[in-house]
Amino acid sequence: MEEPRIGVYVCWCGTNIAKMVDVEAVTTEVGKLPNVVLAKNYKYMCSDPGQELIIKDIKGHNLNRVIVAACSPRIHELTFRNAVEKAGINPYLFEMANIREQDSWVHTDRTEATTKAIDLVIAAVRRVLYHEPLEKRSVSVDPATLVIGGGISGMMASLEIANAGKKVYLIEKTDHLGGHVVKFDLTFPHLSSAKQMMRPILQRVENHPNIEVFLQTEIHEVTGYVGNFKTTLRNKDNEGTELKFGNIIAAVGLKPFDPSKIEEYGYGKFPDVITSMEFEDMLGTGKILTKYGKEPRNIAIIHCVGSRNKKYHEYCSRTCCMAALKFVHQIRAALPSTNIFEIYADMRAYGKGHEEFYAMTTHKQIMFLMYDQQERLPVIRQANRSDDCNMIIEMDEKLSGLPIEVPVDMVILMVNMEAHENVKDVVHAIGVSLCGNQFFIEKHPKLDPVATTTAGVYIVGTCQGPKDIPDSVAQARAAAARILATIEGGTVPVEVTTSFVNEKLCCGCQTCISVCPYSAISFNEIKKVSEVNEVLCKGCGTCGSACPTGAIKCKHFTDLQILSEIEGIMSMSY
Amino acid sequence: MSIRVNPELRNQLIQYGIGDWNACYHCGTCTAMCPLSEEGFLFPRKKIRLMQMGLEAQLESSVEPWLCYYCGDCTKTCPRDANPGELMMSLRRYLTSRYDWTGLSKKFYTSETWEIGFILFFAVMVVLSFLVILPSFGFRFTTELTAQGGVKVNSFAPIHIVEKFDWTMAIIVASLLISNILRMYYKIIWKSGQEKVSLFVHIREFWLLIFNFAVQPKFSKCDDKNYWISHWFLMSGYTIMFIVIVVYLPWFQTEKILPIYNLQRLLGYYATFGLLFGLLVAIIGRARREDVKFRFSHVSDWLFLFMLTSTVVTGILIHIFRINGMAYATYIAYIAHMAVLVPMILIEVPFSKWSHLAYRPFAVYFTQLKKYAIPR
Repeated sequence: MEEPRIGVYVCWCGTNIAKMVDVEAVTTEVGKLPNVVLAKNYKYMCSDPGQELIIKDIKGHNLNRVIVAACSPRIHELTFRNAVEKAGINPYLFEMANIREQDSWVHTDRTEATTKAIDLVIAAVRRVLYHEPLEKRSVSVDPATLVIGGGISGMMASLEIANAGKKVYLIEKTDHLGGHVVKFDLTFPHLSSAKQMMRPILQRVENHPNIEVFLQTEIHEVTGYVGNFKTTLRNKDNEGTELKFGNIIAAVGLKPFDPSKIEEYGYGKFPDVITSMEFEDMLGTGKILTKYGKEPRNIAIIHCVGSRNKKYHEYCSRTCCMAALKFVHQIRAALPSTNIFEIYADMRAYGKGHEEFYAMTTHKQIMFLMYDQQERLPVIRQANRSDDCNMIIEMDEKLSGLPIEVPVDMVILMVNMEAHENVKDVVHAIGVSLCGNQFFIEKHPKLDPVATTTAGVYIVGTCQGPKDIPDSVAQARAAAARILATIEGGTVPVEVTTSFVNEKLCCGCQTCISVCPYSAISFNEIKKVSEVNEVLCKGCGTCGSACPTGAIKCKHFTDLQILSEIEGIMSMSY
Repeated sequence: MSIRVNPELRNQLIQYGIGDWNACYHCGTCTAMCPLSEEGFLFPRKKIRLMQMGLEAQLESSVEPWLCYYCGDCTKTCPRDANPGELMMSLRRYLTSRYDWTGLSKKFYTSETWEIGFILFFAVMVVLSFLVILPSFGFRFTTELTAQGGVKVNSFAPIHIVEKFDWTMAIIVASLLISNILRMYYKIIWKSGQEKVSLFVHIREFWLLIFNFAVQPKFSKCDDKNYWISHWFLMSGYTIMFIVIVVYLPWFQTEKILPIYNLQRLLGYYATFGLLFGLLVAIIGRARREDVKFRFSHVSDWLFLFMLTSTVVTGILIHIFRINGMAYATYIAYIAHMAVLVPMILIEVPFSKWSHLAYRPFAVYFTQLKKYAIPR
């Protein structure tokens, strides 16, 4: 191995670092370390002149290792890796010391923060000594795409990809396409017909030459990796059909919350307490009638049923407030003199045109009554004989501070959107993770909201979280664009920092296989050792820490590298 | 105990003014802005809530609408254009009709036909009295003038009869107002809460009534002091005229032409000026509709302004015609004066807008009583 020649660069990050850390002192101190050829500081290392400085020094001083002490590697590691690569050094011979998030931002004592910065840089110097050059790799991409779920999100994604001339396999669990939206009467906030909107989409999907629809089909197992996935269908019509595809879109949707869990509302006990989905069906029949066949004189719409309540679901379902206001318009049109009560917890009108829709609906002669989710839910009880209504809702009205009762003949429960319980198969097959609410987790909540941590797998629509039609469609088309880009590219880069097995040390216990979250390790029955699929491996290191014999190592995170780093951080005595 | 909401109360409330109070989403800006809203007596938001929920009993026992003097700050700052100021105004109309046991107030506020019909009925009665009844008792028009050259008013409108009539009218109006105030007291203090107010507190705080009637100190707390001033001129002019006409009519309605610096003339001129000034501000305001306070005019608002202005103008004419010896002109002006004055007093004071002269000071008094109330 050639003699390591390290260049260290300490970033001021404007005043973000320089205010709390004495960057000059850090530079001087680390400049004395063995193998450090030069140490410099600069106002913004990530700027073009900052990067130029590194490139010039690498060439001028014949550096073969580079350290930048700056912000989090999540932000600029890639920037500097690209910079050193430009100067002819392997990008994995670069290391970053985080002296902003882990130091200047969280400390108040300048002396101590400076000492810590020196420690962090020493650790990086020690670590980078043992870095090894790693080679970038890529795999080819199969141009077909698997879309799981035939709701509006799945259909829109399929159309987008199919229209670009690429093959789509659209898998739907039920016997029809269209999901929940096709059952709706009107949509908010424009009160346009959902069925009219869906009809042409359904026709286009069903008749598209590039879309192959599989109804009453579920996905149980997917093998392969980004660009080269494979599944075998297991339903009666397509038994054994094997599909090959390069990317996957999960659009499995959600299901309405079952309100019978909420005792206060007596769903199931009172025939005229119905869910919003059941009311949509009733609107489809063209008549709003109680179970006794009468026109209701008083209709209450209860919001946040199962939402924003720690007992059921803490999150907001986002669409129910506007759907409830939409119902007002539909009820008003059918029954002009019926009293309508909106029993809500907070009015959420966040979307485009929603606040205006809310303001417009308030003029429809309805009574808004507010309850407090944390205090007491409204309670529905049977009315007395003397009352001129079917049921009575008792509640603590929040805005007046008064305990009130509301006479009602029909109650519509705006049920929460909840994740499917039976998606575990899909989740496991395609390798996505679930959040606490059982929704699929996106790769980055802001910057990468449709991708997942598994390359080639995208999530769109309500399986990622409750959302309305426009948001679902936007996600669907965004995922389609991402996939089309990889198909056009022909190849996709794969992770370099994967794990590898030292076959001499492997005892064949298969612990690594049971802990791997990406199903990237398999067992070689002949050699009796574990083998890592380097395309599937994400380099998370779980196997390495679980391996009892130390046979599995992760590239770029070897024991030697990590222990040297720890030694470095401990090397200064206090 | 739970209170039953009543969405159909809306249909009643809407008749007393603008009715789109659902625009309010209870941010509370109005209450925060209001210079008169105070702890324990918060408004307008809380009262708008009662309207929205149709809580009749809670509305009836509310004293707060009378504590609002409609500066309009709430309406100006309302982010939803819910117009809280006008909602408080329409609530005052509603409450006036709820205090009134005869049911006439409700008729007058909710039906223009009833209100104008009654006004015309009284006006016709007045005209008939002068043209038919009084002459049949021997009181006739005379063009003969006094030694000073003034018109002999008392031969046409005999002072002892007019005085008796004034007293009768005052007693009717007073008894209606007092009975309504007792109902107001019953609803606000007696029936409303679990609290009790001692008799001592009732007596000790009684001075507030007179003080508030005379000065309207609460009104002066509104940001725009100009309306308090013009209202005070109007109110003082009206009160002086009312006392002079009912109590001192023989002194006021003379055939003598007194010197200009005589107290009778000075008082008359002051009252006329006060009334005209106040009226002018209100009429111009309501016509221009620039100030929030005057933007929305109910029929009863215009009717009241029209009647009071007509009364003042005809009063001025009587004075001018009389001292200039213009007999017939005086008589016509006198009949016209009485034809607007009588229905105004009989309808507006006990049943309509004018009744606030009693309800407002009493509301301040009742508020004070509630502050000293002991839980029962």
